[in-house]
Amino acid sequence: MNTKPFTSGPSENAVMITRVADRQWHALDDDLVVGRGHAQHRPDGRLFVSIDAWHDATFDRLAEAMLAQLPAPLYTVVDEADAELTAGWRRAGFAVRRREWEYSVPTDPRVTGLDDVLPPPGVTVVSAGQADEGLLRAVDRAIRDEVEASVGWQSMPAEVIPRAAGDTIVDPAKYAVAAAPEGYLGLIRVVTAIRPRIGLVAVRAGEQRRGIARALLAHALGTLHRSGFTAAWTEVQESNQAASALFEGIGARPMSSNLELVR
Amino acid sequence: MTRNKNVIEVEGKVVECLRSAMFTVQLENGHQVLAHISGKIRKNYIKIMLEDRVLVELPPYDLTRGRIVFRYRN
Repeated sequence: MNTKPFTSGPSENAVMITRVADRQWHALDDDLVVGRGHAQHRPDGRLFVSIDAWHDATFDRLAEAMLAQLPAPLYTVVDEADAELTAGWRRAGFAVRRREWEYSVPTDPRVTGLDDVLPPPGVTVVSAGQADEGLLRAVDRAIRDEVEASVGWQSMPAEVIPRAAGDTIVDPAKYAVAAAPEGYLGLIRVVTAIRPRIGLVAVRAGEQRRGIARALLAHALGTLHRSGFTAAWTEVQESNQAASALFEGIGARPMSSNLELVR
Repeated sequence: MTRNKNVIEVEGKVVECLRSAMFTVQLENGHQVLAHISGKIRKNYIKIMLEDRVLVELPPYDLTRGRIVFRYRN
């Protein structure tokens, strides 16, 4: 256990920064926990940190202690609207690596304009739960490889779920796919834990700009609408202009943004 | 209400989503606090929305503020 005293903070008593576990730190003020730091490895190997403190001085001292003991690079995520927290991480030397917009996506075909949208000739949409798992995994792997070979696969998953290394499909029943005689060409994943989220919509590189993504969205959003959901949500990386155009073209509205910071 | 490691934790419901990543949470005792999302929740991209049931940690100095440290499934 490492303990480091300092005298600034919410009271005149010395606040102690204590490493209470391998990746956990506490700030103690007169035996009260007034701040916490935490570090966590993502499945992709990156180390993410978080700090919860009630005062800037406590945040800064926790950051100082953690950064001194953890290997670089370190990552964290903030809501861009949370200026106070963002400022704290900037004081600690973190800089913006990328931004993701959260969109609210309407499901009503009269709003999205997707009511008459059909897949291109020779392509059919297979509903969620009916896709062949082997073909689904094959198209998912192929798309990820294509993206990795070009701009790189970046994601801020809705919730980090432990799974086997290399397994990118947690539940095959959540995917609808665009099918052609030669195999699957694209996929869309919609998860409705509490509210529907479009976690992924993607099409093979050689099949893009044929309307397949719009057809997948029309299918998925229409299904949600018929189930009584008025909106879904999704995230789009700011640099992915094609995805932004796709969603904004069907009436999706950006609601907030998350920043991934790195030091 | 629970006290874990000298931290006050209270269950509540999100009754308002505000700007600046803040939420108004109505606690079990009827009081309302202005709460933000804990870094641990944000790090795992858990979304907090209207009417979510949450666990709120209250600071020892100011019981009008809070930090959402857990979102219940329903």
